[in-house]
Amino acid sequence: MDNLTLLFQGFADALHPEFLVYAFLGVLIGTAIGVLPGIGPAMTVALLLPLTYTLEPTAALITFAGIYYGGMYGGSTTSILLNTPGESASIVTAIEGNKMAKLGRGAAALATAAIGSFIAGTIATIGLTLLAPTLAALAVKLGPADFVALIVVAFITVGALLGNSVWRGLVSLGFGLFLGLVGTDVLSGQQRYTLGIPPLADGIDVVLIAVGLFAVGEALYVAARMRSGPIDVIPITKGWRSWLSKEDWRRSWRPWLRGTAIGFPIGSIPAGGADVATFLSYATEKKLSKKSSEFGRGAIEGVAGPEAANNAAAAGVLVPLLTLGLPTTATAAIILSAFQSYGIQPGPQLFTNQPQLVWTLIASLYIGNVILLVLNLPLVGVWVKLLQIPRPYLYAGILTFAAFGAFAVNFAIADIVILLVIGVLGYFMRRFGYPIAPLVVGMILGPMGEAQLRKALQLSQGDLSTLVLHPFAAVAYTLMALLIVGALWLRRRQRRFEEVLTASLAVPEKVNEAP
Amino acid sequence: MSSLTTSGPGRGDAAGPSGSRTSPQASRFRGRLGELIFAAVGIALGLFALIGSFGIRVPESNRVGPTVFPILVAVILLISSVAVLIGVLRGRLGSPDESEDVDLSHGTDWLAILKLVVLLVAHLLLIGLTGWWLAAAVLFGGAAWTLGAKRWWVALLVGLGLGLAIQILFGELLGLSLPLGPILGWLGPLI
Repeated sequence: MDNLTLLFQGFADALHPEFLVYAFLGVLIGTAIGVLPGIGPAMTVALLLPLTYTLEPTAALITFAGIYYGGMYGGSTTSILLNTPGESASIVTAIEGNKMAKLGRGAAALATAAIGSFIAGTIATIGLTLLAPTLAALAVKLGPADFVALIVVAFITVGALLGNSVWRGLVSLGFGLFLGLVGTDVLSGQQRYTLGIPPLADGIDVVLIAVGLFAVGEALYVAARMRSGPIDVIPITKGWRSWLSKEDWRRSWRPWLRGTAIGFPIGSIPAGGADVATFLSYATEKKLSKKSSEFGRGAIEGVAGPEAANNAAAAGVLVPLLTLGLPTTATAAIILSAFQSYGIQPGPQLFTNQPQLVWTLIASLYIGNVILLVLNLPLVGVWVKLLQIPRPYLYAGILTFAAFGAFAVNFAIADIVILLVIGVLGYFMRRFGYPIAPLVVGMILGPMGEAQLRKALQLSQGDLSTLVLHPFAAVAYTLMALLIVGALWLRRRQRRFEEVLTASLAVPEKVNEAP
Repeated sequence: MSSLTTSGPGRGDAAGPSGSRTSPQASRFRGRLGELIFAAVGIALGLFALIGSFGIRVPESNRVGPTVFPILVAVILLISSVAVLIGVLRGRLGSPDESEDVDLSHGTDWLAILKLVVLLVAHLLLIGLTGWWLAAAVLFGGAAWTLGAKRWWVALLVGLGLGLAIQILFGELLGLSLPLGPILGWLGPLI
């Protein structure tokens, strides 16, 4: 029960008024930025990273935890209230939530999303509390070959299985791995692919990659194909006290719990976080519902389940991140780099080396969740205003903050040049349907994978069989094979499912548009 | 999101009610050409990584030196880019990303992209000359104008306000070293 004491200690630290203010600000800013259209959780985290540069590590990580949860939740508000499709993680929320809003039940959709996110986030954080120390204790025993196996699994799932096209995902992964190579090799001190340009000798900062791909890439992409016409925000009229009727509660609580049960495990394994979880939750709710005909026309279960799954997965992603140092989503990769910029290396040793920091962070996740709930329902009016920001100003702001973030990394003009190049790359990746996440994850995990690979081969004196003969590694590869089969099956289902969905949704939209 | 992988270059062709500025054939060809170029860039990068790996000095003592992983990366890039290239030639085009503010039935506005790139270059050149805040104002105002802000001077004023706010909050109060530039240089010691 040592961990419980540590957790209470963490609460005592996190409830310190100063840290509470940071948690509050983190959630507030995270949600506000996450609500802005065109900005997903990964971009929220990347854009707000510079804000934490001036803080000391604990305060920065607490702020960051708030930003992470806030950014996750902000996206769902956007998809419920804005009449256009958005982030893939909240796309199922968009389907039902948007229909509910159009029927005048937007308030209920927002409420079930907020309360579901709170419940799922809290339960998943409890799961993280219970699971992480045990896992970290086990992970200490893992050798380099085992880590190579884990990293390969992460590469395959994030790179090959999550996008629409296996090969496009691998190209993106390859770009990321290559960018991770640029710089000075730590083990041998040799420069690689620096072309003799001094700013490249230290390697490319992941913040430049993330901000370039997400912020600059998105701004260029929007600039090229700006949606014209007025911004279509669905109005919320009712007072927030009457948001959820008794009937809504009755229909919501089971999906919340089921969503949590689906989201947390999927977030914890290297299977790419929230996308898969939200889709699975939606499919489950549709199957279990007695009113499945309501799905596609504003079923509250279709908001409650996926939103819970989304947030539970967000907490689940922190399990491998904190215990193994393995980021499995683009957002997690950026968080990892934030840790590293403070000289903190997440991984098996983190719980023994920096117990105070970890437990304060975990405690602040609980607190962040409460703040999220308290903040979100009353502030909906503000979020609606944010959605109406004129788009030219919104994307000009994104570009300016991207340039600011890039410059603030080292105060080097060369970094903005890199930002621009990466941004143009990001534009073409969006345009041609290459997923972005594998690049970011590959860029972060590549150097780690290389270090472990070389350590493993050093230990085995160059014998390659060491990579698969370690029991844990062997299990990991076997599971990966199963995962690939499972994921391919799942993706085929998802694709068919989405086709049916788009077909059923396309019909009424056309009717609306007819003059 | 996914149904498009096998069916043409953009949803615009199917869903756009009056999007017939270019013939579908021409836009399909152009979409494919861009895709081919991008895949070729992937191949070129793979080749560059492979050839470059021979230029890395390998210290004698290392059993697994600094070139092993680069070669692996090069192989991943080459194989996957070639696979995409073949896929594109067979007509399997990527589906462009969807986003809240993107209308895929539009054609690409290359001029807007060019303007934003030029603005970013101007921004990075101006930081040292005029101070960060003014460079930011130019970037913000220019970008907002490019993206269709109705009055350019409002955009520039908002940019000026934003630039000054960030400059004062982060540069002066929180101590990030954003150059103040000649116009406001005298302010530095005062804050």
